[in-house]
Amino acid sequence: MNTKKKSTKWIVPWILILPVVLIRGFTTLYPIIATLKNSLFDIKVLSGVKKFVGFSNYVNVFKDPKIITSISFTVMFVVISMIFHVVLGVGLALILNMKFKGQRFLRTIVLIPWAMPAVVVGMAAKWGFNNDYGLVNDFIRRFVPAFQYNWLINTGSARAAVIIMDLWKDLPFFAILVLSGLQFISGDIYEAAKVDGANGVQSFFRITLPLITKNVMTLCIPFTLWRLTTFDLVYSMTSGGPGEDTSLIAYRITTEAFTNLNVGYASTLAVLLFIVMAVFSFINMRVMNKMDN
Amino acid sequence: MKKKIVSVLLSVFMATGLLAGCGGSSKNSGSSSASGEKSKKGNYDMTLYSINTTDPDFDDWLKNVEDATGLKINVIAAPTDSDTRQQKITTVLSTGDSSVDVIEINDEMSASFKDSGWLEGLNDSVMTDDIRGQFPQGYLKDMITDKSGNIIGVPGYIGYLAFWVNQQIMDEVGITSIDTKEDFMEYMKAPSGNGRYGYGGSWEKTYSHNEIAQFVNMFGGDYLDWTNPKNKEAVQFLHDMVADKETPIDQIADKYEQMNPKANDGKYGSWFMWGLGTDYEKADMLGADKIHMAMIPDFSGEGKRSIFTDSWSYVLNKASKNKDASLKFLKYMTEEGGMEASYKAFDRYPARADVAEKVVPDSDPAKEIYSRYASECDVKGRPMLPQTMEFITDTGTIFQSCMKDEITVDEFCSKAGEMVDKYSK
Repeated sequence: MNTKKKSTKWIVPWILILPVVLIRGFTTLYPIIATLKNSLFDIKVLSGVKKFVGFSNYVNVFKDPKIITSISFTVMFVVISMIFHVVLGVGLALILNMKFKGQRFLRTIVLIPWAMPAVVVGMAAKWGFNNDYGLVNDFIRRFVPAFQYNWLINTGSARAAVIIMDLWKDLPFFAILVLSGLQFISGDIYEAAKVDGANGVQSFFRITLPLITKNVMTLCIPFTLWRLTTFDLVYSMTSGGPGEDTSLIAYRITTEAFTNLNVGYASTLAVLLFIVMAVFSFINMRVMNKMDN
Repeated sequence: MKKKIVSVLLSVFMATGLLAGCGGSSKNSGSSSASGEKSKKGNYDMTLYSINTTDPDFDDWLKNVEDATGLKINVIAAPTDSDTRQQKITTVLSTGDSSVDVIEINDEMSASFKDSGWLEGLNDSVMTDDIRGQFPQGYLKDMITDKSGNIIGVPGYIGYLAFWVNQQIMDEVGITSIDTKEDFMEYMKAPSGNGRYGYGGSWEKTYSHNEIAQFVNMFGGDYLDWTNPKNKEAVQFLHDMVADKETPIDQIADKYEQMNPKANDGKYGSWFMWGLGTDYEKADMLGADKIHMAMIPDFSGEGKRSIFTDSWSYVLNKASKNKDASLKFLKYMTEEGGMEASYKAFDRYPARADVAEKVVPDSDPAKEIYSRYASECDVKGRPMLPQTMEFITDTGTIFQSCMKDEITVDEFCSKAGEMVDKYSK
C-alpha cells in the first residue's frame, strides 16, 4: 500500500506544473528547436528559397566581413562596457552609500536613464551627437568655440558614442544593485578596522571589495548577457553605421532576420550567440563556485 | 491529513479554474469570433492594409471611397516602422493569408514582390490599355511590371526626387539658374565655406542609394552596370565635392530628418528630396523666394535630364477571397475621383498626368514644376533588385567608405558591380 502510494506520489506535482511546462515548451523550447533546425537551411523568404545546406551557414559566418566586423565590435562593446560598469558602478554605489543630505533624492533620480526605453535613448543620442544641433558639441563649444566634430561618422567616435550611451543608460541600475550589496556589510566591521588603524583605502580593499566581489560577479552575468543581446540602442542611434562599424551581433541578427529576410542565416547567427552566452554563463558559474570553495 | 486535504482542495480549485477559464474563454471567443466573422462577411466587402490611417483626413478619404464605390471597407493600419511593416506584409503575402485583400506597398517592396507570384496581375482588369498610357511609363515599367509583363499595382500618387534650391543663397551669390553641369559646379563653389555648402544630402547608408543613382543618371550612366565609365565619373564627381568641401562628409550620418533642418537653416544651397516640401512649409521656408523646386540640371549637354519617381502602389493579394470588391476599389483608385480624394486628403499628387492637370489647382506651386518634370525629363523608377534592402544597404556602406577615402572610386565601382551580381540572383 505504502509502496503504491510512493510510486504514484510524483504524479500530483507533475500535474500541477504541467501547464507551465507546456507553456514553456511552446514559447521557449519550440523556438529554440526551430531556430536550430532553420540554421541548417538556406531560407530566403523573398526569393522563396528553402534548401538544406548542412553546416554551410556556420562556415559562411566566419568568412562574412560584415559578421567579422560585428563580432569585433560586439567583443569591444561588451568588454569595455562591462569594465566601466564594474569600475564606475562600484564607485557610484560607494557615493550613493555615503550619508549626506539629499541622498535619497539622488538615489531616485540616478535611475531615470535606466527607466527610459533604449530606442528613445538612441533617438535622442542621434541628435545629441549631431555636429550642428547636438548638445554634446554645444557643451564643448562653450569652452572651444571653433569645435566641429560629427561623432557618428567616424568608426572610433561612433563606437565610443554607442558605449557611452549604453553606460549612461544602464550604469545607474548596476550601481543600485551593488549598493544593495554594500548595505549588507555591517558597520561594526569598519569600526573594528578603524580601531585597528585601517584607513579608508585599506578598508575599501580589505573589507568592502572582498565582501561585494561575489555580488558584483553575479551581477556581471546578466549585465554581460544583456550587452551581448543589445540591438535597440544601435538600431535607433546609428543603424549600425558608419558602414557596418557599430553593428552589434544582435543588431546584425535582427537585420538578417527581419530586414533582409534571410531566416536561415539569421538562425545560424542566433545559435552561435546562444552558444557563446551559454559558455560564458558556465565559465562564470565555475569561477563563482571556485570562489565559494 | 490537513495538508492532504488542502492540497486536494487546491488541485480541485486549480482544475476547476482551468476548465472554467477554458470554457469561459472558448464560449466568449466563440461568440466573438462568430460575430467577428459575421461582421466581416456581413458588413465589409474587402480589407485594406493602409499606411495612411494616421492622417487626420483619413476618415474623409475612406468615406469618399466607400460612397463612390459602394463598398464597405475594413481598414487595417500598417505599422509605421518600415522594417516591421515589410516583415508583416511579407508574412501575409508569402503565407497565402487571405485576411487582407488590398495592400499599399512602396518601391522597395514592389521590387521584392513583383516576381514572387504573390500578387494578382491587373493588366486585363484595372490597368487596361486605355488607362495605362496616362501613368508615367518609366515608373510602370521599372517598378510595378513583373517579368511576364503584368502590371501588379496601381500607383497611389506620383512623387519625384526633385532638385531643391535655396533662392536666397542663389541671389546672394548672383546665380540665376542651374541649367548645366558647369552652372551646377559654379553653384557648388560660390556659397561653400563657413559651415555652408553648395550641395547637401542624406548619405546614411540606407538613404544614399537615391542620390548615387540620381547622379549616375545625370551623368548618363547605368546604376546596374558598374563597368559603365559614366558611373565612375558620377561617383568621382561626388567624391570631389566632398574633397573640395562643397558638400559635407557629416551627411553620412544624416537621414532626411537631419537633412531638412539644415536645408531650412540655410546650410545647403541645393539638394535632392522627395515630396512637396512639407518640412520647408512648416518652417515657413517654402516659396519662390526661399526654398523651391528647380529643373534638374542637364549634365549631358544634350538636353537629357533624368529624374526618379516613386510611389506607394495598391496591390491585390493573390490569395484574396474578395477579388471583385478589391478590383472595384482598385479601379476607383485609377480614376479621377479616387486620385482627387487622395490629393485632397493626403496631398498625394495624382499619378495620372491628365488627372493632375484637371484636379491640381494652378495655385499649387508643385503643379508647374511637376508638369515640367513629366514632360522634359526622362522619368524612371529607382534601380532596385530582388534583394532590395541588402543591395541598398551594402551599396550605401561602400559609398560611405569611398567618400571617407577608405576605398578608392575604382574599388567602389568594382564592389558595386559585385553587389549587383550578388543581389540580382
